[in-house]
Amino acid sequence: MSATGAVLTPASPADAEPRVGRLTLLRVLWRSFFFQSACNYERMQNVGFAFSILPALTRLYRGEDLKRAMARHLEFFNSHPYMTDALLGATVRMEEDLAAGRTTEDRILSFKATMMGPMAAIGDSFFWASLKPFAATLAVAGVFSDVSWAPLVFLALYNLFHLTLRIYGLFSGYQMGERVFEKLYQIDLVQFSDRSHYFAGVCIGVSGGLLVDHATRSEAALGQNLEAVLLIALVLIMFQLLKRKVTMIWLLYGFTLLCLAMILGLNSFFPLIER
Amino acid sequence: MVTASLDLVRDGALLTLVGGALALDRRGAFQVMVSQPLVLVPVLGLLMGQLETSLWLGAVIQLLWMSSLIVGASVPPNETLAAAVIGAAVLLYGRHCGVVDEPVSALAVLAGAPFAWIGRWLDIRLERGNLDLCIRADEAARAGTPFALARLPALGLLRTFLAESALIAAGIAVTMFVLVVVRPRLGTPEVKAFEAVGFYVLPALGLAVAMTTVRRRRALLLSAGSFLFVLFGIRFLEGK
Repeated sequence: MSATGAVLTPASPADAEPRVGRLTLLRVLWRSFFFQSACNYERMQNVGFAFSILPALTRLYRGEDLKRAMARHLEFFNSHPYMTDALLGATVRMEEDLAAGRTTEDRILSFKATMMGPMAAIGDSFFWASLKPFAATLAVAGVFSDVSWAPLVFLALYNLFHLTLRIYGLFSGYQMGERVFEKLYQIDLVQFSDRSHYFAGVCIGVSGGLLVDHATRSEAALGQNLEAVLLIALVLIMFQLLKRKVTMIWLLYGFTLLCLAMILGLNSFFPLIER
Repeated sequence: MVTASLDLVRDGALLTLVGGALALDRRGAFQVMVSQPLVLVPVLGLLMGQLETSLWLGAVIQLLWMSSLIVGASVPPNETLAAAVIGAAVLLYGRHCGVVDEPVSALAVLAGAPFAWIGRWLDIRLERGNLDLCIRADEAARAGTPFALARLPALGLLRTFLAESALIAAGIAVTMFVLVVVRPRLGTPEVKAFEAVGFYVLPALGLAVAMTTVRRRRALLLSAGSFLFVLFGIRFLEGK
């Protein structure tokens, strides 16, 4: 009997203790890469979650139990796509427990509902707000130093963390079940995230220096240290305006118009550049 | 003439399809960051045999949209579509129309940038459209047909690919039109003005946007320090 009273139908009559194999977990991992392919405003990533966990559900259930299990994972779900693998692993373990009658449907639903928020917060702050800017600015500095394989460094650095966390999350989630988050908290992504801001700061400064050097050598060069002064002043003004919620697109067109007006206007009064 | 036009259309179609496929990585599939401008534009550049131009362009576009983050249910401007449009237009111009200089890159960024916001509108429409997939998933669960549920993500990806490819194609057409019409008509003062936009305004704006992603005050001081260190380090090494 399931916890909600429905009779469970084991996928194989020989299975006294229903388990999913390593191959099934690998299929869950593969599918999790398409987690947001059917994202919608009503229930967000619910289709992606159900799609990812489906190989495990079809191993554990048949008939009415399979229908109930599919419907169970089509409830609202919204978390960070990389951190979801840990949730998927833990949920597969809990589904095994449910199939064996050791837990309840409600516990699985409340586990998902409770954990998706904190996991999203950690994933967003680490991957989107820290690692991506750091890896990207490092690679941008590489490009400005004429390192043609800098984009590969960006991909390698980013995916080292991304893929490791996904694979580790899924398998440790499966091993530890609901306690997987104790393990994830031990990694201390928050500290990594904090440090990556400093590295990103250095990379932005390096990129700026290289850009000024590039501008100094250009045909539009103004001579001496004017490029450095001009670029620093522009960056600081734009940074302040961005912090005051002026959007990038307004700054792009605004400063372009200003630049065109200044050069063309000045040139009409003092024709230094011949047509 | 006809052969040249056919070549242009063929290259445009190739860049559209590759750009559309890589754009899926942004949200729908994998998310291994090949959809980032820093990677996407050089991939297009490799296809057109112009890696060097595409590396610089990709890096500047990356900086401009560095703060575009998909957090929770928020839908930011779609930097991938803008990068595909700008990158493809510059590369096509360089291969079929003329030399890619700073004014060409600056004009392409100015003409292609709005496609990031049109892409955002498209993303919202696609997510609304996916509600239909959600309803079909419920039906599959009621019927107990895992196969019906399993094919829904592929449908979502196909829709996204078709819609984004169409937008990239339209964007390339508009941006190419601007480049082909405007660039040859620029006189020397206008060329100088657009060079200044390319050399100063775009990099400065990119750096300012990148600085907004740094959340620590001391990290900004490190930025300033490393900026001066690199600038004067280069000059010291060159004996200036």
